[in-house]
Amino acid sequence: MDMMPLNLAVIPWGILCGSLAIQKGFSVFEALLMPLLVFAGSAQLVATELIGGNAPLATILFTTFIISSRHFLYGLALRDKMKVLPGKWRYSLGFLLTDELFALSASRKAFKGRVRLLYALASGGSFYLCWLMWNVVGIFAGSFLPDLTTLGLDFAIAVTFIALVIPSIKSIPVLVTVIIAGVCSIAFKLLNWELDLVISSLLGMSAGYITLQFQQANKPLYKGEVT
Amino acid sequence: MTLMTILLMALITFSTRYLFIHPSIPLKLGSKVISFLNFSAPAVLTAIWVPIIFVREGQLSLSLTNPYLIAATLAVIVAAKTKSIYFTLFSSMTVFVALQLFL
Repeated sequence: MDMMPLNLAVIPWGILCGSLAIQKGFSVFEALLMPLLVFAGSAQLVATELIGGNAPLATILFTTFIISSRHFLYGLALRDKMKVLPGKWRYSLGFLLTDELFALSASRKAFKGRVRLLYALASGGSFYLCWLMWNVVGIFAGSFLPDLTTLGLDFAIAVTFIALVIPSIKSIPVLVTVIIAGVCSIAFKLLNWELDLVISSLLGMSAGYITLQFQQANKPLYKGEVT
Repeated sequence: MTLMTILLMALITFSTRYLFIHPSIPLKLGSKVISFLNFSAPAVLTAIWVPIIFVREGQLSLSLTNPYLIAATLAVIVAAKTKSIYFTLFSSMTVFVALQLFL
């Protein structure tokens, strides 16, 4: 099961989200609704902080939108495969479309045929259930644990994405994408731009695309493996 | 109030995920756009993990005592060599926790 390691890697985040919600004065019911309905890592965490700090509704919703806007790219990338599916598949897979599920669906054959659809649903579904479970652990155990925010839990997310991205670098254009997206993301983070994630992603994608065009125009002289 | 906020947030996260896979959105993707979108996974995921490692408390941290940097370097090497999510996660998490304890 490809999703298993990812289900485990979000343990610290889930627990953190759950316990933070309780610390910020959410009722247990409200804290449960977050992973149940919103089902997002960073958006959940940031919004919990904002709600706890009595931020205006518009700020909370706008921030949620900014953080979630990367999913537009995922939807676009999967559009041609997904739009032909019947509604029940589209709605459920759409709901389950997280960074993690998208990262695993890069294969050309993903979402094609019943078996692969069921597999995607099972992966996404197991991720949903695990996310919920870790949140519940956080909700009930959070107050007994030491301050989780200082333990460097964000490392678990970073390393998950490293494990997903690095093996996918199999061509020069992808390597260029990763380098540009990485460098831009640091720069924009330091500049404190709200849209840092989306803009650095778009710049990285453009750089990769241009490299690919350039490669094709100049004949594939070096199509070597890069790892 | 919190309840209302949560419901509206749910609406936002779902629509950002679902909007573009809805069939009746008038949008046809050309082959160039699709080739461009093929780069979205490495780009977005990288733009998420790189700042976590390199930017600590709002500052660029390239110090060798930054446990994030040491453990992430190991993770990149292990991921490149083994291509295994399990190995990468377990080895670098172990090193990271050890560094947190001893540094």
